[in-house]
Amino acid sequence: MVKAKRKPLEEIAEAISTYGKVLTVGCGGCVSVCLAGGQREVYELNAELELTFKESGTSKQLGNYTVERQCNMDLIQEMDDIAEGYDCILSMACGAGVQLMAERYPDKPVFPAVNTVCIGVDRNLGMYEEKCRACGECVLAYTGGICPVTRCAKGLFNGPCGGTNNGMCEVSQDVPCAWVEIYERLKGQNRLDDILKLQSVMQWQNQLQRTVVQPKYEKRYYK
Amino acid sequence: MKSGSNLEKILAAGHFAFTGELGPPRGSNVEHVKEKAQHLVGRVDAVNITDNQTAMVRMSSWAASLLVNELGLEPNYQMVCRDRNRLAMQADILGASALGIRNMLCLSGDHQMFGDHPNAKGVFDIDSIQLINAVKQMRDEGKFLSGEEIDGPPKLFIGAAANPFADPFEWRVHRLAKKVEAGVDFVQTQCVYNMEKMREWVKQSVDMGLTEKVYILPGITPMKSVGMAKYMKSKVPGIEVPDEVIKRLQGAEKGKVAEEGIKIACEQIEEFKEMKGVAGVHLMAIEWEHRVPEIAERAGMLPRPIVE
Amino acid sequence: MFKKNTAGVDTDLIKKRLDSRKAKMKLSLAACAHCTLCAESCFLFNARDNDPTYMPSYKFINSIGVLYKKKGMVDRAALQDIRDVVWDRCVLCTRCYCPFGIDIPEMIAFARTICREQGVFPDFEKEQKHAG
Repeated sequence: MVKAKRKPLEEIAEAISTYGKVLTVGCGGCVSVCLAGGQREVYELNAELELTFKESGTSKQLGNYTVERQCNMDLIQEMDDIAEGYDCILSMACGAGVQLMAERYPDKPVFPAVNTVCIGVDRNLGMYEEKCRACGECVLAYTGGICPVTRCAKGLFNGPCGGTNNGMCEVSQDVPCAWVEIYERLKGQNRLDDILKLQSVMQWQNQLQRTVVQPKYEKRYYK
Repeated sequence: MKSGSNLEKILAAGHFAFTGELGPPRGSNVEHVKEKAQHLVGRVDAVNITDNQTAMVRMSSWAASLLVNELGLEPNYQMVCRDRNRLAMQADILGASALGIRNMLCLSGDHQMFGDHPNAKGVFDIDSIQLINAVKQMRDEGKFLSGEEIDGPPKLFIGAAANPFADPFEWRVHRLAKKVEAGVDFVQTQCVYNMEKMREWVKQSVDMGLTEKVYILPGITPMKSVGMAKYMKSKVPGIEVPDEVIKRLQGAEKGKVAEEGIKIACEQIEEFKEMKGVAGVHLMAIEWEHRVPEIAERAGMLPRPIVE
Repeated sequence: MFKKNTAGVDTDLIKKRLDSRKAKMKLSLAACAHCTLCAESCFLFNARDNDPTYMPSYKFINSIGVLYKKKGMVDRAALQDIRDVVWDRCVLCTRCYCPFGIDIPEMIAFARTICREQGVFPDFEKEQKHAG
């Protein structure tokens, strides 16, 4: 799922500083799961903002609401009546949700309260790890299920480079070398032939905004 | 001849090649380049001109290459995958060739986080092996990566780096094989200190028939001090410094440590001259260009042969 | 009249919310013919070995249907039961199909909204603790 991290309080407070009525909107999707922008985080953020503005003697009306998924217009639309009463919206959704929210209320300033970090997995409570860069041209078949685009610091397709250091990456002793892991895994599966072949240059698919239309629905959307 | 470069001629004639290295200045100071170059003219067959080495901004490698070319020193133009995409790379390759650069070294490049702009966006559009293959395709097939025709293909002798000391060791010779398959003409290795491992890697390369297709030039960097040796051992990924080397330097008389370092380097060069599968050496005397004439002399590399 | 323990629940607010969409809710609940066509379109129902409690119709009848029938007079335990239905058994993928045109996802989202308003929503921290 998408993983996000809340922005620093000062940055959020600065963004909404000139607006009197602010609606903080959580999202019940991915950002709830990664504990960054769900209903609970909406309460927490508003409590912190309340305190900040109180200290600085600013009067502010902070409202809260949580949409089930900010990446779906039908679900956002449920808060139309509520949004009307506010000067700006503070969205705690990922970048996709913030944009759809801004599209829904084009006259209202919409500010992001989180930084969208990555597509990742749950490693532990409150700990998430990036796994996919959505390059649109998946190579995991020949890399033993380990993504070089995401995990190799240089995004090599024919690794490992000369900087491997006891199984770690040259950038840090805390970062495992993706290509050493690829090598070890394929070796264990007797599949080293997969990386003996030259991998030719990547045909990047993520250089323009993409729209996904599933084959079954092509007739519906493309004439 | 693929490129007609001096380095190619030397290697093709079977001479033991000797290449050097020169880092462009952190500014447009031409005098700085000239100062470093004067020590190398006539003493090396070609000189590597580094490309934003250690991810620090420097004078561009093609510009510095042209400067040394004018001074009578053949450049080995380095290009890293970190700073440019496939359009910029192919354009620079054409420009370099048009202006008389005849050797090129294809590298991934140190990660940008090591340098002076750690939050720059690393490009890494293609990797070093794909770059080798791209240059070969441009030169031999006269085609861009897109497959379209080139009006006047570049003439370049294609080089790459190899690191026999990075892990996994057993994969290293296969990675060299991939570079050979991609079309590399010569490789220069990471600084060699662990001769035992080096012998093993060269032997593997010979056994796989790779040395019939690629010239191998081991990298030599004389140690200036015990501190440098310890730093390289512990801090530089992919460099192996055996304890014996450090012990030898520590055992040197006061004020004679650098001398001992040069001695070790010369012994290595002597061994490489005799080693099957090795075609020359690459001397990386980092910020020690003025000692190159002395090292070259003592290693018996002078005078450099001239091949017409 | 039997008095329920609705402490900690703002039943008036629930009633107000329900009234705001009363017509649509009433029609949706009345229209359901239990035909099970929606079940076939639910990937969770399929993935859970056709467990009937994953049928979209079951999920909306046992959430918004309960709130409607009781006119909002529910206790926290009932809201928590609804929470388990509308969050654990539905991801709001909005792919379920109803031949009568009942907007099941809207009904489930509506139930979620009411629960949220009463402070009843999933605790992902707790869930991950159990998972870890």
